[in-house]
Amino acid sequence: MILIAIIIGCIIGALIGINIPTIPYTYSGYLAIAIIAALDSVFGAITSSLKKNFDMKIFISGFFVNAILAILLTYLGKKLNIDIYLAAVVVFVGRMFNNLGTIRRYYVEKITEKKGKKPEEKSQEKVNNN
Amino acid sequence: MEKNKITMISIIGIICVILVAVMFAQFKTVEETDITGIETAREEELQMMLSSWKTKYEEVEEKLIDTQQKITDYREKLTSNEQTSELLDKELEQINILVGKTNVTGQGVIITLKNNEEKTIEASDLRTLINELKLAGAEAISINDKRILNMTEIVDVNGIILINEDRIVSPYIVKAIGDQTYLSSALSLKTSGFIDSYQKLGKTVEMTKENKISILAYNSKKNQLQLKYAKEVQE
Repeated sequence: MILIAIIIGCIIGALIGINIPTIPYTYSGYLAIAIIAALDSVFGAITSSLKKNFDMKIFISGFFVNAILAILLTYLGKKLNIDIYLAAVVVFVGRMFNNLGTIRRYYVEKITEKKGKKPEEKSQEKVNNN
Repeated sequence: MEKNKITMISIIGIICVILVAVMFAQFKTVEETDITGIETAREEELQMMLSSWKTKYEEVEEKLIDTQQKITDYREKLTSNEQTSELLDKELEQINILVGKTNVTGQGVIITLKNNEEKTIEASDLRTLINELKLAGAEAISINDKRILNMTEIVDVNGIILINEDRIVSPYIVKAIGDQTYLSSALSLKTSGFIDSYQKLGKTVEMTKENKISILAYNSKKNQLQLKYAKEVQE
């Protein structure tokens, strides 16, 4: 069910996004930061759902508030003549990689569990080494 | 429980819609944006462009001022040239009048000399008359519409009078432009004046004053007023 909702949402979103008029280039910088923040929230949500501690309220508030905060920070940075959006990008992308790592580890563990006990230990070591 | 799940799914769907819509919009923007287009340029780029254009503008303005200066210079030169050429034109006109290359008009006197039964008019008579007229300040003289120049000859050749190598016959109409009173009084002095003395000799001489006499330009076909031997002395 959730997968279907995601796919339908993605298709509708793509259609809307393609048909939207072009955004002025000046604002596309803010939008990019917002997208990064939102993506970070999404990956965070996936990670937490895998860890069984997913909270809808936290996800939604994180999704919107992070995006808006990122935009505000970028705006502030422009006013202060400092590239704050770089810091935001570093933080969000770093967190995205962390979350992706967690997700990867989870699935690798799952696959190795199916194959038997021995490979699981090996892969566990490997993952830890990584 | 079921209701909770449905709301969760719908919220996730909505979030997907928002996220993907914004992402695609951004992709489209980035793809379609022409970096050089001024409407879509970032502020920093605009500032850079502005400063570079300002520099260019200043350079061009300097050039403009330079060029305008040059133009004014040229104009000044041109006007001075025009003045010179005007002066030259005036001078040329004066000289042309002086040498008799133009038709001229003005006040003056007309003297008519005719052959009669007893006496004929000779070249020397005409020469004397011309000399008298010149002395009285005549500015242009012609005999039978032959312009008298400084190089004009008045000669008798076998009883035929030649002026500017053209043959002329009686009556001889001598036109002279100049001060009417001077000319007439110089010619009509009692006893020693030209008219009196020649009339005493029995020659037919008449003089009329005219306010408007036209004298034709030098128009001899035979003598084109070209100097072959006389050269200007370069100092």
